[in-house]
Amino acid sequence: MLPEGSVQAERVWKQFRAGRARRLLEIPQKNQASRKRKGEWLWALKDVNVNIEPGHSLGVIGPNGSGKSTLFKILAGVMYPYAGRAETVGRVGALIEISAGIHPELTGRENIFLYGSLLGLPRREVATRFDHIVDFAELGDAIDRQAKFFSSGMRMRLGFAVAAFLEPNVLLVDEALAVGDAAFQQKCLERMREVLAQGTTLLYVSHDLTSVEATCARGMWLDHGTVVEEGDVREVVAAYRRSVEEVVEGRDLPRGPINVMSADVGSGGPIPSHEDVEVTLSVESDASRRAILHIGMSEGTAAPIFSVSRELHFVQGSTKITCALHDLPLPRGRYVLWVAVTNRMRHHLQSWHPTTTFDVTGPGLDPVPAAVARLSPVHVKATWSEGADEEPSS
Amino acid sequence: MKTELGPPPELLFKRKIQTRTALRDLWKRRELIMTLTERELRVRYKQTRLGFAWSIIMPILLVIVFTVFLQRVVDIDTGGAPYAVFVYLGLIPWTFFSVSVNHGGQSLVNNSSLLNKVSFPREVFPIAAVVTSAVDALISTVILIGLLVITGYAPKVQVLWVPVLLIVQVMFTIAIGLMASSLVVYVRDIRQALPLILQLGLFATPVAYPIPFSPTFEKVYAVINPLAPLINGYRRTALFGQSPEWDLIGISALSSFVLLILGYRLFKRLETGFADVA
Repeated sequence: MLPEGSVQAERVWKQFRAGRARRLLEIPQKNQASRKRKGEWLWALKDVNVNIEPGHSLGVIGPNGSGKSTLFKILAGVMYPYAGRAETVGRVGALIEISAGIHPELTGRENIFLYGSLLGLPRREVATRFDHIVDFAELGDAIDRQAKFFSSGMRMRLGFAVAAFLEPNVLLVDEALAVGDAAFQQKCLERMREVLAQGTTLLYVSHDLTSVEATCARGMWLDHGTVVEEGDVREVVAAYRRSVEEVVEGRDLPRGPINVMSADVGSGGPIPSHEDVEVTLSVESDASRRAILHIGMSEGTAAPIFSVSRELHFVQGSTKITCALHDLPLPRGRYVLWVAVTNRMRHHLQSWHPTTTFDVTGPGLDPVPAAVARLSPVHVKATWSEGADEEPSS
Repeated sequence: MKTELGPPPELLFKRKIQTRTALRDLWKRRELIMTLTERELRVRYKQTRLGFAWSIIMPILLVIVFTVFLQRVVDIDTGGAPYAVFVYLGLIPWTFFSVSVNHGGQSLVNNSSLLNKVSFPREVFPIAAVVTSAVDALISTVILIGLLVITGYAPKVQVLWVPVLLIVQVMFTIAIGLMASSLVVYVRDIRQALPLILQLGLFATPVAYPIPFSPTFEKVYAVINPLAPLINGYRRTALFGQSPEWDLIGISALSSFVLLILGYRLFKRLETGFADVA
């Protein structure tokens, strides 16, 4: 028998049937594709293993339709696998597809008690946590209103608060936080760390990779129902980011009036951190014109760590442009150079696209406190000193 | 088109359902059944003006319809009891049964949002539907007692048999509720058909009139429709001070018990796939 809070799945397979059975009196469909698809079984999960010990955490990432929610439903015990075995020991608090079972006709208060008894908690135990839940969800007097009059944010807050405060042995959080505002998201992440520290097992699905990185110790990358990579969350997230970046780079760029033919950072080879570096671009224009060139650097995402721009003159044909960046503030790592060209009206002459990747050598970043997510890496030189305060406090 | 390779056959998931552990799990969740019942009652009458009065309007309306129309057309042998009382006594158990099955039948589909989130024995939904309509039946029974007092019926000792009849009726009701609710998830047509079937059932049960069958066929009919001897039993005990016809009640009890076991097994078997289709 596994200890409480264990989550285990052994070689789990799950399939769904796309489409549905033919109805009587149905008009036959002309559409060839939809006819072929009808009744065909599709694998949602293929041979997936999960093994989490009590009090540990797993972040699951992957594109839409990769089987993340299906896996969570199986682990939550609401769905059964087609093959393999899954076991979750203890009480499960699941926040799957926002507002975990909030009943619209009931008031917030009634919903809290309903959800408590769904989890198998006696009434008086729910009552002792009631105030915490209402406080956390920031519902105040609205708690006695019917849930159908709640905003989607309120419903999500209530759902999260109930799931996280009824002290489950295992907490499953699936994409739920996106509805809340930034401050509440941070609060939820903090609460997730808190229950994790109290010994609750945490499983977290999100497209917000930074929050996954900041919350979970281990990561799992699912794609088309199979585990692509599993291990330390940073490595898994980094690998997933790289693959997303490759997909983006692999896209064909439509030719515009101005095209970037080649781009180089430095003169080949890794670039040392905090030194000057030259970015060299070769740009072809179909006419002589003035336009604004934007360049930026990122870890792969389209949102750059920093960007610079300048209005330049492009001749008809090829123009070579160099831009010297001084004291490059990037820590060790792999980065992508993004480029775009716009006119003064900020209309695109060439869209924002990745051109080349380059490596930076030098210092890494200092660790951050738990539950704090770093947005993008910037390395700033810091000098520290310590000594007794001249005015000691009484 | 050849589909992708599946898992090795020895890996196929087979859910082991032991009736004993399943019942223990269900017992552990008895509080949930009460909460769901409470929720059902609250939700049903929230934002209605008449509130709980709705739970007795339906049987009383039927009593009026039957008394005003049916009684005039056909001469019904009520054994000397006022027709309104006779009908009402049949309608309370019938309404209890039909509302339980109708609501219970839809309970899984209506609560699909909960089915996808938390794991617990799913039979709590149809069972909660039975408890909910039991509350309605209780209110109707209070009215019935008032009616009996007004019409001058003194309580008979035989009324003490009613709890035995009730146990059989609850078994039968839960059995049908379990079957209906689990089948509706897979075959949604049943959801549409259910009210129709129940409507027919009203006429195939001695609710508005006694059904005169030969003694042999009466026994056969008790197997098919265990409610028939039960409703006769309620009348015999409460109105006429007679004992129930035990041979028929026995058949009805046996039939209900077998149906309950079959219904529970069916439900538990289908339960595995609820979240896939609900």
